[in-house]
Amino acid sequence: MRVMGVGGGAREHALAWKLSLSDQKPEIFWIAENRNPGIHKICKDNQGDLRIGRTTDPKTIVRSARGWGIDIVVVGPEEPGFHGIPDALEKEGIQCIGASQELSVMERSKADLRRLQWENNLPGKLLFRTFKNAQEASDHIRKNIDTQPWLQNIVIKPARQSGGKGVKLIEDRQIYLHDEKERFKEAYFDSLQASMAAYSDIEDKILVEEKAWGPEYSLQCFTDGKTVLGTPLVQDNKSAHDFDSGPETGGMGSISGPDMILPFITREEYDKSLKIVEGIVEAIQKKTGKAYHGMVGGQMMLTENEGPTVIEMYSRLGDPEAINMLAMLKTDIVDVFQAIVERQLSKLKLEFTNEDAVVVKVVAPSGYPEKREKAKGHPVQVFETNIKRNGCYLFWGSADLQEDQQVVTGGSRLLALMAMDHTLPPASARIEKTVSSVQLTDGWGLYHRSDIGTERLLAKRRDAAERVRRLYKHREEHGMLGSRMEWVPKLGKIDTSQQLLKEMHGPERPI
Amino acid sequence: MPGLIGFYSFGEGRENWNASHFIHYGLSALQGRGQESVSLATIGQGNTLRTLAGRGGVEQFFQKNRTSIPKGFIGIGQTSSYLDDYLVHVKAPYEMVLALDGKTDLHENRGEATKLFARQLSQLLHSERESLKATSMLINKIGGGYSFVALTHKQELITGRNPLGVKPLETGSVGFDIGAVASETCALDVMGIDHTGPVETGEVIMFTPEDIRGNTPSTDAGNFCSYEYVFLARLDSQVNSLPVAKVRSSIGRELAKTHSVKADVVIGVPETALPIANGYSQESGLPQELGFMRTGENIRAALEPTQKERLVGVQLKLNPIKSAVEGKDVVLVDDSVVRGNTLRNTVLNLKRNGAQRIHVRIGSPALVSPCPYGVEIPPRDELISGSLSEKELASNVGADSISFMTVEELQHAIGLPRQNLCMRCFENGVTTR
Repeated sequence: MRVMGVGGGAREHALAWKLSLSDQKPEIFWIAENRNPGIHKICKDNQGDLRIGRTTDPKTIVRSARGWGIDIVVVGPEEPGFHGIPDALEKEGIQCIGASQELSVMERSKADLRRLQWENNLPGKLLFRTFKNAQEASDHIRKNIDTQPWLQNIVIKPARQSGGKGVKLIEDRQIYLHDEKERFKEAYFDSLQASMAAYSDIEDKILVEEKAWGPEYSLQCFTDGKTVLGTPLVQDNKSAHDFDSGPETGGMGSISGPDMILPFITREEYDKSLKIVEGIVEAIQKKTGKAYHGMVGGQMMLTENEGPTVIEMYSRLGDPEAINMLAMLKTDIVDVFQAIVERQLSKLKLEFTNEDAVVVKVVAPSGYPEKREKAKGHPVQVFETNIKRNGCYLFWGSADLQEDQQVVTGGSRLLALMAMDHTLPPASARIEKTVSSVQLTDGWGLYHRSDIGTERLLAKRRDAAERVRRLYKHREEHGMLGSRMEWVPKLGKIDTSQQLLKEMHGPERPI
Repeated sequence: MPGLIGFYSFGEGRENWNASHFIHYGLSALQGRGQESVSLATIGQGNTLRTLAGRGGVEQFFQKNRTSIPKGFIGIGQTSSYLDDYLVHVKAPYEMVLALDGKTDLHENRGEATKLFARQLSQLLHSERESLKATSMLINKIGGGYSFVALTHKQELITGRNPLGVKPLETGSVGFDIGAVASETCALDVMGIDHTGPVETGEVIMFTPEDIRGNTPSTDAGNFCSYEYVFLARLDSQVNSLPVAKVRSSIGRELAKTHSVKADVVIGVPETALPIANGYSQESGLPQELGFMRTGENIRAALEPTQKERLVGVQLKLNPIKSAVEGKDVVLVDDSVVRGNTLRNTVLNLKRNGAQRIHVRIGSPALVSPCPYGVEIPPRDELISGSLSEKELASNVGADSISFMTVEELQHAIGLPRQNLCMRCFENGVTTR
């Protein structure tokens, strides 16, 4: 059997690694935009090849898959999905694990995802509002900030994925800092509008959501369109630096295990989260008329208003969360992929280790994420025997194997180190012991988060989870879960949630 | 004693933050540490350090200078109890400004010692390629007890706490946009910034446009200032991860256990001693009453620089509530006794208002030595406990009895191991017990 992967990050290296462990001994081929040293080696060792090409170009991908005589293609990142790679492959009769273009809208357009949730009245949603331009957003908030209190504490996002535009969290709680926050908010609206001007196909450019707080976690699932199978919960850490400070990154490391749930999430919350993801998969298939076969991930948060809540959806595996999941997966990955393309997932016994916890830590060059140009092109040296001796695994990410066999940084997250142990803290400690085995020989700096998987950070997560759990459980007991009832002077009681539901879902079917 | 703030913003849109605005409110929350001198420095686009300094309090300073407050999206600030104690601006070889709480051992004079430290740091940042490592070595080399925050002309914010860890320093962040440090967590709260944990002893954290880096903190658990818990820190702060309110209440309980006395009512001297009195009341079962009303702003009498202002401070903040004490035996709880004048005024005032017996209970050991790390504890010959025994002291202030905690009792109430607490101000001299 011949399998071809698409994408050149640490997540894809982990997929290739898992494929190489399959009893079916597939021949492994790959297309990536960088010569990822790990994928390069696995392809070489498994009668395959790594080709450098544009992973968002359907022609390149289809031509290679046909040329190589590929049986199943697995797409790693989101961009190829956004550009219709799975659609193009299937048109050619090549099986593909990956969400088609229309289905991937759940990730591409954060506004469409919220609409889908509210139109179908699915659980786990946040209040939102979209705007055509910055002026409209500023005016609306200025006008309504006193009568719709949720507008005081918001998250601002581009309504659809757009050139690295991040999210901004604004809590406008201190009246003496109000002008400050308002100025920052409005300037960001302007900047979003400018960057979104290129997209003439969508009307809404700016998404504003209510800001929630609570522990975050990812629930990654396999689906064949009929069945959604959950995998162990993983928690990623988005801030660049220790104790959740610093700029937003793609993810600096993740924890999972030692079972299907995390130490601070309950089994009940897992089940609810899975129901939420199932609901979204069902709704998006109904809306588009397309069958979903591939991976889907819910970026979840426990919130005081809703309990398990969707922050974003992934139409793929997370990076680095995929590494945790694949490390824990006991079922042969090729069997999983075959069950997906044959739509037989309901018959598959999906098994994960329940003995080991997994910690993944990303090592990134200084300059990432804000000054990637500076972080690019530095020569890397890795002492692999040291890493192995400490029982750690290395997955290459934004790295390029040059013709002279020297690996250089690509400017984004360089690599991920993974360790397993009975609980999280010893696994974390193992990576700490070996992280100096990765160096840049020109003296440029590398950094990673030493706190991921430590008892201290876990205690913080547990504390946040318990506080928010007390709040949402109280609401649940009083039949208030999902409600946003507020009393506003002169206006009396208003429930923004009911108002929005009426608008989106129609008045004839109240909750 | 200064209170320090550092504010750093990341990411897109950061030029829209006005660091001074955050520093303004952060410093307001730190005024308990001093409000004689206020200074701040900012940097924004163009990499020019802008500074402003003047006499305090914080609110008056920002009001008076509202047209000339420096702009920029990164900044540091300081409010100090010393007159004309401002940020140190070193222009060369590596331009930077520095605020320091505590004292380095580079000079006998605190201000000079801070300047010398700033110059050495500037020199290192100029000559060494690895500035984090160099700063880390510097704080291991230079003794004393201090925490600092510095801002360079290259938008670097460097902050650290020397291995002794006497002086507090806490970190915070907001979303993906803001990182901050402050002497106390209450300042982070007021700035709307989430507290993320203390700067560890011997830790240096460096914020740069490229990344945030930290060294490996010292393995030494530190020698934390116990006076922070007794008096200096604000009640809503956490110091070294211990909530100050909880410590003060447990000091009161400890006092009630070991220094109990027959009385009708417990009264605390505002503001610091109120939670200590509350702990005393809960442990002893005696009711706590509010004994005083304050007129005007909250002035921390013990930190006022001149004798005259201190007396005014006492009158304004301690007008007795007659009905709370009339005809009663009173346990009067205070945090500490410095020169004894506040206590004398208070006791006399209560007696004039009809209190019968007054038993003074102090939530700390007698102050007998000045602080080597810059807390304004006057020289020994100005400390009343340095000269008088408890009995003499009681008759001097007009109380029926007075008793202090022992060092061991205070340590027990704080709940940290003895070797991790600095109690130098309570020791070294001849104790009065």
